[in-house]
Amino acid sequence: MRRETEGRKGWRHALRRMFGMPDYEAYLEHCREAGHPPRLTEREYVKEFFDSKGTGSRCC
Amino acid sequence: MQPLASLLVWSGISLLGAAAFGVLALSRGETVNAAWLLTAAVCTYAVGYRFYSKFLADRVFGLDDRRATPAERCNNGRDFVPTNKWVLYGHHFAAIAGAGPLVGPVLAAQFGFLPGTLWLVIGVVLGGAVQDFVILFCSLRRDGKSLGQMAKEEVNPAAGATAMLAVLFIMIILLAVLALIVVNALKASPWGLFTIACTIPIALLMGWWMKRWRPGNVGEASAVGAVLLLGALVGGGWVAGQPHLAPLFTHGATALTWMMMGYGFIASVLPVWMLLCPRDYLSTFLKITTILVLAAAILVILPPLRMPALTPFASLGEGPVFAGKLFPFAFITIACGAISGFHSLVASGTTPKMIARESDARLIGYGGMLMESFVGVMAMIAACTLDPGVYFAMNTTPAALAQASQALGQAGFVVTPEAMQALAARMGETTLVARSGGAPSLAVGMAQIFAGATGALGGRTLDALWYHFAIMFEALFILTTIDTGTRVGRFMLQEIVGHVWPRFAETSWYPSVIASSALIVTGWGYFLYQGVVDPLGGINSLWPLFGISNQLLAAVALCVGTTILIKMGRGRYAWVTAAPLAWLVTVTMTAGWQKVFSADPRLGFLAHAASLAGSANPDAARLILNDRLNTFVALLFMTIVTVLIVTSLWEWWLVLSHRKTANVHEAPYVEAGYATGD
Repeated sequence: MRRETEGRKGWRHALRRMFGMPDYEAYLEHCREAGHPPRLTEREYVKEFFDSKGTGSRCC
Repeated sequence: MQPLASLLVWSGISLLGAAAFGVLALSRGETVNAAWLLTAAVCTYAVGYRFYSKFLADRVFGLDDRRATPAERCNNGRDFVPTNKWVLYGHHFAAIAGAGPLVGPVLAAQFGFLPGTLWLVIGVVLGGAVQDFVILFCSLRRDGKSLGQMAKEEVNPAAGATAMLAVLFIMIILLAVLALIVVNALKASPWGLFTIACTIPIALLMGWWMKRWRPGNVGEASAVGAVLLLGALVGGGWVAGQPHLAPLFTHGATALTWMMMGYGFIASVLPVWMLLCPRDYLSTFLKITTILVLAAAILVILPPLRMPALTPFASLGEGPVFAGKLFPFAFITIACGAISGFHSLVASGTTPKMIARESDARLIGYGGMLMESFVGVMAMIAACTLDPGVYFAMNTTPAALAQASQALGQAGFVVTPEAMQALAARMGETTLVARSGGAPSLAVGMAQIFAGATGALGGRTLDALWYHFAIMFEALFILTTIDTGTRVGRFMLQEIVGHVWPRFAETSWYPSVIASSALIVTGWGYFLYQGVVDPLGGINSLWPLFGISNQLLAAVALCVGTTILIKMGRGRYAWVTAAPLAWLVTVTMTAGWQKVFSADPRLGFLAHAASLAGSANPDAARLILNDRLNTFVALLFMTIVTVLIVTSLWEWWLVLSHRKTANVHEAPYVEAGYATGD
């Protein structure tokens, strides 16, 4: 059951990453692994994420 | 795999590919099935990936999995994140795939299916995929630095400034030509315009959903957006049939030009989450789904190619779609499907910041570009399944059609007005004649393939729906490129002006935002307008300019790649980038020269201007001005790249003759965590 949940979570993270979606859960996980509290709230994280998307190039 | 088994498998793949090429090259007069084209392409990609990309990865670049990537060293859980290579492959492909690989092959089909296909397949293996891979590798070793930054540090500051200027000018031409494709696809099409207009409120709703209501829930917002989009597609058919509603969404090319410019300006000024991001998600989902469905549909029905392998226009150079002979114009026209300079911006953008291991760059950089080429091959198939008469009638203005009528008649490429009218009615349009730009003919080809694959669901009764679905698919991601391109152009302009007026560089200072957005929109809007009012159709002048500029940007990228290889002490392998660079420079400079100085008024800008001098045409003065402006732009691109090549050659000579110490600006070596067991 736990494995299934983890598998589903893995897929969710993968799809978010593939389509360039914000993934606050992954950010929190990163902060946990790095041993520091999250610097950004979910709203701040989403705002920063979308702002940075506007600077990237899309191909023709 | 055992060595003998591997040898047998790869020999078999190589022989199969060679046989498929043989069938394509030797068929004359008989119909060829698309299966041969697919087989030739897939076998070449497989051999290229297995052997050439491995050679590049191991011998030329020396990819080292013990070396930590920027994603590992700078991991911040946001833009620097180690990512599974297959996930990143999808992400990178979504960023590089645009309208170029779809439209270029459709236009190049005027030479027949063979030249374009050969260049798509061979060009990508030896040039396009190498360019993407080398720039990804270089950026990966430099903490994800951009192409301009690498040119500045590795070649010299003048090269960096030149590269940045080149990108800005190229962006303006790119946006103009893409906007022209959308305008030509939507003019006098209430169904198409209604559907595309609906994407704006849909995107605004999605933006509000994922930013304000349920922050970060892009999946939910996109699902709602996709359902609404399909509703808009079906609703468009209903609107087109309503005598009171249809005129509201029926506009000519000039009105659509102003709408496009207004849209581009607003999209550049609004916060990204409102319009740009949601539209980007919608178009990415639609793009990946449609490409997969198209590939499956082609494999299911394996359509016959009705266009011959070679048309008379390959040698005559008087093609009605665009002027010029096969060399150099087939290569300029195909552009993105074989080599795209714009990929170097993506390969030195987000992707290198997400690579978990250096060896992953092979699949993502080289493999991603192979997939882009495959999309180009599918577009070529879709265009070549059309009756050649229909293809030329759709992609040619009446004026150009009249000029080429004799050659078309001799080649047997004729179609009756009644047949064109029947086709338009089947696709839910009032007319499909002179819909140049490639998008409508690709949409008809795709509609026929989709309708063939879904015959049991209604077959040809769904033609109109599939046609407008294909138009929506193309227009949606072209508009996404216009959103992002205008914004990126705005940032670049703000940065350039910021050197003399620092306040202007503040990206959140509204006077600067508005002024720079207006300038960029005016820039591409001007070229769009002149394309719209051009009697020969703007594609004839704008697409070659776009192709030349895109390929010259690739030359800039290959210059930077070659410089870095030489500085890394791998000068003996510099041919891997120098050879495609030499080819690109030859092709683009020849094309640029012909576009400016050819004595044929259909081809040369100056000759066209001279032919109008003293003409009674009331638009003559404006057309002459446009020709002179196009001349200036073409010469500017050629000068910029010449400067960059000369400065690069000088740098290579200094390093190779030991007059200068090769100083590469790689990030310091740090051992990867997983390699040390951390």
